[in-house]
Amino acid sequence: MGLDRRSFISLVAGGVVGSLCTPVIWKTLDDVSIWSQNWPWIPRLNYGEEKKLATLCKLGGDAYGIKVKTVAGNPVTAEGNPDHPLSLGGICPLGAASVQMLYSPARIKNPKIKDGNNFKDISWDDAEALLAEKLKEAGAATAMISGDETGSTAEILSGLVGKLGSQKSFFMPAESAPAAAAVQMLGGDGQVGYDLENAGYVLLLGADALGSWANVARNAKAFAASRDKAVRYVYVGPAQNGTTAVADAWIPCAAGTEPLLALGLAHIIASGRTSYAPGFADFERYVQAYQPETVAAATGVPAERIMNLAKELINAGRPLVLTASESGHGLGAYEAAAGMCLNMLLGQMNAPGGVRILPWAPKVVESAAEKKDLLANDLVAYLTAVADGQEDAPKVLLVHSANPAYALPNLNKVQSALDKAEFLVSFSTFMDETAVMADLILPDSYALERLDDSYSPYGAPQAIYTVAAPVTKPIYDTRAAGDVLLSVAAKADAELGFESFEAVISAKAEALEAEIDSLMEGTPWVSEEFPTQDLAFWSSPLKEIAVPAGAEKSVSLSVVTHLKIGSAAIATPPFGTNAIRFDEMKGKEMYVQLNAATASSLGVKKDDRIKLANAAGECVALVKIFEGVMSGTVVASLGFGHTAWDDFSRGKGDNIYKLLQAEAEPGTGVSRFGSAQVTISKA
Amino acid sequence: MQAHNFKVKWGMVIDLDKCTGCGACSVACRAENNLPPEVDAGNKLRTADWMNIYELSNGKPFPEHEVAYLPRPCMQCGKPSCSTVCPVVATTKDEEGGIVSQVYPRCIGCRYCMAACPYHARYFNWFDPIWPEGMEKTLTPYVSARPRGVVEKCTFCHHRFNAAKEQARINGEDPTALPEDAYIPACAEICPTGAIKFGDLNNAEHEVSKIAASDNAFRLLAKLGTDPQVYYYSKREWVRKLGDNYLKNAKGEDHV
Repeated sequence: MGLDRRSFISLVAGGVVGSLCTPVIWKTLDDVSIWSQNWPWIPRLNYGEEKKLATLCKLGGDAYGIKVKTVAGNPVTAEGNPDHPLSLGGICPLGAASVQMLYSPARIKNPKIKDGNNFKDISWDDAEALLAEKLKEAGAATAMISGDETGSTAEILSGLVGKLGSQKSFFMPAESAPAAAAVQMLGGDGQVGYDLENAGYVLLLGADALGSWANVARNAKAFAASRDKAVRYVYVGPAQNGTTAVADAWIPCAAGTEPLLALGLAHIIASGRTSYAPGFADFERYVQAYQPETVAAATGVPAERIMNLAKELINAGRPLVLTASESGHGLGAYEAAAGMCLNMLLGQMNAPGGVRILPWAPKVVESAAEKKDLLANDLVAYLTAVADGQEDAPKVLLVHSANPAYALPNLNKVQSALDKAEFLVSFSTFMDETAVMADLILPDSYALERLDDSYSPYGAPQAIYTVAAPVTKPIYDTRAAGDVLLSVAAKADAELGFESFEAVISAKAEALEAEIDSLMEGTPWVSEEFPTQDLAFWSSPLKEIAVPAGAEKSVSLSVVTHLKIGSAAIATPPFGTNAIRFDEMKGKEMYVQLNAATASSLGVKKDDRIKLANAAGECVALVKIFEGVMSGTVVASLGFGHTAWDDFSRGKGDNIYKLLQAEAEPGTGVSRFGSAQVTISKA
Repeated sequence: MQAHNFKVKWGMVIDLDKCTGCGACSVACRAENNLPPEVDAGNKLRTADWMNIYELSNGKPFPEHEVAYLPRPCMQCGKPSCSTVCPVVATTKDEEGGIVSQVYPRCIGCRYCMAACPYHARYFNWFDPIWPEGMEKTLTPYVSARPRGVVEKCTFCHHRFNAAKEQARINGEDPTALPEDAYIPACAEICPTGAIKFGDLNNAEHEVSKIAASDNAFRLLAKLGTDPQVYYYSKREWVRKLGDNYLKNAKGEDHV
């Protein structure tokens, strides 16, 4: 039987129609569309029970409560903790990126010991025994550096160093030390906090309160609430930033001269006022030197504007003055005191809506240094002296939660001092610049993997004690530094009186009369008690604050911190790279900001590659023309230019710390490095 | 195209007088929606950022200069330009709530929608996503990981919408009349200054509908007639004017 043309066509047509009626084609198409996107190298999602656990974020300079969402026990995302007074539901960009840091490629997965230019693995037992032996040998020639002012781990470290007979306990520089010194100058004693929530007017003298200064999440909440209450926020500083984008006014003021403006304002407010506050008469005479015209010449703020600002402060109910260095550290003690005196003059010391002086955290490790002494110890001065040979290099230097090899001024000297330390021990969670230099690395478990605590970070308006239970088990062979230190102390015959870190926390809770169980569940302990203070105007001898002198042809460098780029302790997190805008980084080069007038006077234009240089060092960057910068000023962000860490931060931009040079503040000797002078040339 | 009329229209109002440009929303969005971390984020032609933050300038020289920051999610347009050009119906606006969908398995990567979107809110996966070893354990169970060749965009955290409806059903409430705080995207939830508000624009009781009706509220490129469901708010006139980028030498002062 032959197949004729007609039946062939019928067969084909029938076949086509028939196959269209079956689901096979449609199912196949659907499968193709799914399976062509379903490659084995595209990760699958994990499902399971969802929980939200309270913990702490200490990645910025601040320590505040966050909540971490877990799915089947795995932490996945972080959000603010509405029940924590320093979060109120807000979170900073570092906090938002904190969960993924758990798996950062920079994590140190087990203890390591230096082997030539590399590291080799070592067991925890051997590492602890080695450290104990080194500590016994070193004795009083031991020193410690911590970047965590709020936790008990630093207290244990200081206790260990103290037990060995050394006073060399240091914190990384921050805003808290000059503020505490300023309060001490006024006769007060305690940790400094600010009642932003109840302030009626907020004058930010260099304090980037909504970007990087103190308790950023809570500052933001207080600011948001202030919008319905007609509270004015005025920012004073050399350049516009996130805070000025929303503040009611920006008053351009030359970098680092904000404290002079404070004294100028104090002069106007004090004159013609009678006060029986102790020391007022001396103070009034002292600020005579800061006439509006003099201050105007130094700060670049017109005299009339200074007069108006003083009037605003006088007329505002509950004004609050926040003095800071734009970079978040490097303010001198007198400079902080200048702002503190202004608060005192306005009747805002230890008052609602003003500066609050909190009790110091209770000390439970007997041999540890008092927190106020720790704050007064000047790390930059110490390391510089070690580098210059004026001070003996430590035989053992313990570094915890800090990255001094990257985040300090006088960087060359700091690095050479770290080099001189006979045995450098890093407790870093991540392979940072300091860990790379270390002789022994005892990796601390990451924040989400360990028990941790925090007593009122700088700026917190009341005493707050928070305990964070671990969210997950350590994913690598790491241990909490607190426990390791206690165990090493015992092996080094320097018993600190505690078996475990948990015992230290329990003791602290007991000292505060706080419920340990509810603390462990994530409920912070909060106290509204403020010790009475006997304050007087600037009881130590008054010192003139010098006007920073710029060399010929140099421009002022205003140094800023953006948390999305990182902090002194943390490099740009993997989830932070995208938040860096196209006008902040191009390829692997960072931008610095100049206004058009400054750029043209320097002969540079947009996108030019320039070299910023001074006696301390030099940095390379691209030019961004930004009119929100004062003339004669260049704005550069910290947080770039890492040489260790991982691909997300290494080799991107340049490290502005290289340009910071500390100078001893006359009178107090405090290392000042808030701003600098640089020359700019095409690179 | 005839626009749908929805009973509920989810919308966002971003108060630019409260936005500090800190970047927390952008980071939280990334974690919530399983966007991979990007090593070379310095090349913005190849990156994806559902919540992108722009810096605005009033264009005046120092010292008259002012700055503001503008976070830009998907506008969830009432008349989306993207869905009309999609050849494979991978992006539609047909669900109650008015969120423009993005169906990854349907997307063929032609990028017509990207060309059509006037807000640059859509992103193409030029590469397969890579999470550093172990970091894939932090993927949320809400949004599948996208392979290369697929376009993606902000979905107002649509999974949270589904979860809120589910919760309402469990509670015996009406899933089509969710209260204001039952459904809120990740960015709005974590914004430290509370600049991002979220709710039903059709519901007079929701705060967003009140702010959207204000004289200080505006939408981006409103003159194009895309009818965005994202509103911005600023008391500063120069900020509002930047919402429509009309040319400096254009004739006539008014815009639609």
